[in-house]
Amino acid sequence: MRRGEIIPSVAAGLALLAPGPAHAAGYSEFLDSLQFRGFRAEASYTTDDNVTRAPAGDALRDRMLGVRVSAGGVIPLSTRTRAAVQGYVGTQRFSTYTGLSNNFIGAQGDFSFRPSGEFGAPTYGVFVRTAKEEYESTLRDGYRHAFGATVQKPLTDRVQLLGALARNITDGKSAVFDTRNTSLRGSADWSLGRWDTVYLGAEYRSGDSVSTVSRNDPIRTLGFVNTASPNIIQDDAFTDTTRDAYRLKAHTLIATLGYNRAFGEGHALDVSWRRAQSSVQNAVAPASGSDLSYTVNQISVAYLGRF
Amino acid sequence: MIPLGELDDPRRRILIQALAAGFFSSAGSAAAQLFGKAPGKLPPGQSIYRVSGRVTVNSQEATLQTRIVPGDTVETAPNGEVIFAVAEEAFLLRGGSRMLIEKPPSGLTTALRLVTGKVLSVFGRGRPTRIVTSTSTIGIRGTGVYAETDPEQTYFCTCYGIADIAANNDPSSRETVSASHHDKPLYILAKGKAGGAIRRAPFINHTDQELALIEALVGRTPPFVFPVDTYNAPRRDYP
Repeated sequence: MRRGEIIPSVAAGLALLAPGPAHAAGYSEFLDSLQFRGFRAEASYTTDDNVTRAPAGDALRDRMLGVRVSAGGVIPLSTRTRAAVQGYVGTQRFSTYTGLSNNFIGAQGDFSFRPSGEFGAPTYGVFVRTAKEEYESTLRDGYRHAFGATVQKPLTDRVQLLGALARNITDGKSAVFDTRNTSLRGSADWSLGRWDTVYLGAEYRSGDSVSTVSRNDPIRTLGFVNTASPNIIQDDAFTDTTRDAYRLKAHTLIATLGYNRAFGEGHALDVSWRRAQSSVQNAVAPASGSDLSYTVNQISVAYLGRF
Repeated sequence: MIPLGELDDPRRRILIQALAAGFFSSAGSAAAQLFGKAPGKLPPGQSIYRVSGRVTVNSQEATLQTRIVPGDTVETAPNGEVIFAVAEEAFLLRGGSRMLIEKPPSGLTTALRLVTGKVLSVFGRGRPTRIVTSTSTIGIRGTGVYAETDPEQTYFCTCYGIADIAANNDPSSRETVSASHHDKPLYILAKGKAGGAIRRAPFINHTDQELALIEALVGRTPPFVFPVDTYNAPRRDYP
């Protein structure tokens, strides 16, 4: 576990979002200025063709239902700056590999700066997010944190661009699930009309990744990683056969294509396809990076509501 | 030897002919229709920024070249929408709407009659304006407003600025709204109790991005810096 290292970095991120005059007298005024933005709910159905995040022979397909509810607010700090806070809670229920089913609760804080109200003015932001996750299995239980910077800019009256650089940290009960990676992503929202938006995203992640493969191919498994603890452990989320989860350094490319159809301002239907392609950075001979690549395809349909 | 300026290559000739025929400008206009464009102050002589679906001005089909001036009637089919500017005022007229831009009487710089439908409007500072809808008469000064009207009621949001709102059928129903950011949307009813024809309403059907867009057409920026995203459709959070 590396919780001792994680907490200071998340605390540093939160400190960035804290208002300057955090004295007791000003604190209640600060809370009074919170503009509540209501509740949001999301119900989704997702198919995933590789929940093990493993090469083709070990890729397992599953379906999941997800529900997420969030509530948040905005705190204006000055004309050009504001803070936003959001709390969320949710669950993911897998159909076959129920050890992956989980409940989560988390919070996110954002600080944003926009130089003007001009149509094309960019919005710069920093964020920090932390969540507690409890799985049906045990090893993955723990915390998920992220912090980073974003920039958002309307390119035209139909196209909006978003870029983000983030550091992602997981802190699991097993050290195999203690991961750190850095992601750089960009996305474009293309409005086809008032209620229809197509979105396209691309992301590059570099850092720790966890894959699970069956133990019946030990040569390949052992080739993936340095098998010294804490890089490998028997995965308790899969009971069909003995499978090992192992942590490795990987490059991952993720592409997203989605369509959002709104039904008024409070409801929308969202359909998306994500494809991730990952290859290992530090394969141990006799394996090579090309032996250890995997792909994931996720297709998701979600209902989104605001109340 | 071929003198400079003469076209020896047939491909060059075709290219130049295509340019002369406006091939690239229509391709650019198709791209703008598809992917949009960055809004800016409209050049002198241009009134319409964007037109989609069926839109008429004085019963004539509207194009990007159509001029709109006081005295004109702008109408949109249910699938139509037009974004345009007249002098220092800019409008987004949604589908199924009919609006008269009246020649302003003395003391006013703009007078509008929204017969039916939905319009988002921004007006220059110090330019007294009157909007008449089926159920209300509204006097405004330098502001951004959104109105929807039908014979039963008018929805009116003072997005920012000051508006004096009166019910047409009940002189005792009056209200002045001073708003900085959609503070007090209202319904003005055609049939209401004396003094009770104006009621609070929720925020509906317009966005801050749309306000920023039409303000840009007349060279202004809205008074707010951050658009409020709860006025847009909900989106998924990134995992």
